[in-house]
Amino acid sequence: MIRLTQIRKSFGRNEVLKGIDLTVRKGEVVAILGPSGSGKTTLLRCINYLERPSDGEIEIGELRVKCKHPSKQEIHRLRGKSAMVFQQYNLFKHKTAAENVMEGLVVVQKVPKEEARKRSVELLEKVGLGAKLDAYPSQLSGGQQQRVGIARALALNPEVILFDEPTSALDPELVGEVLAVIRKIAKEGITMIIVTHEMNFAQEVANRVVFMDQGAVVEEGAPNELFRSPKEERTRQFLQRMTPEAVYSI
Amino acid sequence: MGTSFDISYVFDYFVKLLPYIRITLTIVGCSLLIGLGIGLLVALPRMYRIPVLQRFSQVYVSFFRGTPILIQLFLFYYGMPEMLKLIHIDVTKVPALYFVIFAYALHTGAFLSESIRGAVGAVDRGQVEAAYAVGMTGYQAFGRIVLPQALGIAIPVFANLVIAVLKDTSLAFSLGIMELTGKSQTLPTMSQHFFEAYLSLALIYFIISIALEKLFFAVERRLLRYEGDRDRDGRAASGRKWLNRRFSGRLELQKEGARP
Repeated sequence: MIRLTQIRKSFGRNEVLKGIDLTVRKGEVVAILGPSGSGKTTLLRCINYLERPSDGEIEIGELRVKCKHPSKQEIHRLRGKSAMVFQQYNLFKHKTAAENVMEGLVVVQKVPKEEARKRSVELLEKVGLGAKLDAYPSQLSGGQQQRVGIARALALNPEVILFDEPTSALDPELVGEVLAVIRKIAKEGITMIIVTHEMNFAQEVANRVVFMDQGAVVEEGAPNELFRSPKEERTRQFLQRMTPEAVYSI
Repeated sequence: MGTSFDISYVFDYFVKLLPYIRITLTIVGCSLLIGLGIGLLVALPRMYRIPVLQRFSQVYVSFFRGTPILIQLFLFYYGMPEMLKLIHIDVTKVPALYFVIFAYALHTGAFLSESIRGAVGAVDRGQVEAAYAVGMTGYQAFGRIVLPQALGIAIPVFANLVIAVLKDTSLAFSLGIMELTGKSQTLPTMSQHFFEAYLSLALIYFIISIALEKLFFAVERRLLRYEGDRDRDGRAASGRKWLNRRFSGRLELQKEGARP
């Protein structure tokens, strides 16, 4: 289980997160929606301390970290419990697809090399890249790179996988293959928090949808409820803008 | 220069100068090795913004980049024994070669620290974030992800520096070091064929430079093999390919244009 309590984050005087509470149960898929600048990516990056929250508490599994003065070790352990899939893929450029997936296993979890390689091959086959094991990221398309990114996250066997707009940097025709992979692993009961702009995807794959605006959670609920009958005015406006058919089919 | 040009002297001196390559390369090698250590040490405070040390390394870098290497050689060779005499250390018996290596090491260290800083800064920030997200510590992320990529980026600059140092070592003759240039001054005193000596000297420097250039190009190719052709097109090192394409394209255009 992941529990965030009163997470705050300021850049200088600008308060980006104004005390966020969020609980994600084991096996749950939570989608975070919201306009740009609403702080959703910052929130996600606070969970593995790529962004330093100014205040609050993060709890993943048995690990509980007070955000004000965390020790280096706490940060390190926190990162060990989560994995992230980045908007810009961020694959290790100088390593092949298989090495990218192995890296965390070998370096961080100290898994023997052959075993890590075996696991890496399995996972790459699972995301449909069994034929690209020894390709460098520069030789892969965006969609393929992102699928390697997902395999890399899966390899760590984390408590939660954090997806930071996993399809935003992709060409439209490549979005489908990545979403298909995420859909597949969502069914396996892996806990996931997904920041996304793909409304249909969020509605279909998430157990719960959280709508954020201006650094606060405005509304959250089951996808069907939230999309069909949002309670808050701001949510309604946002959803209307994001689903153009509703606007043009008057 | 009262003698007429005689090509046989060029060959003669070329062969006679060859053994002195050893001394020149010793200066280059030692100063690069020491300079690499200094460069890394000096780059660290600036990369990690360590308050006081950062200022020191700035001053050091701007001094060695802002003064001619010849003056630096003189300062070390003549100045340092005097300074050390004040604290009762006698270095008058230390061979000049050590002073030369020391001066060149500090000189290259200054330039290297800047290129190390630049190369590390040029590694995509996302790479570090990914390393952290995977669970690596700061040292692991630096050693396994940042450094290998920074090395690839730094190689072209490093190659330039090595070749520059190679040529700069010719100034060591002014302190009486018998390296290539020093020897080329004394070889022709009997025959007075100075021009031929300089010609073979130039040839030797040129050949070593070309060899180094080829070597570094191969190393760069090896270190950056992960960058597909797509990415590498944008790089200065493979600008050649791009130029060729541009050039042949233009030629074809002209040919077509010539037809009525």
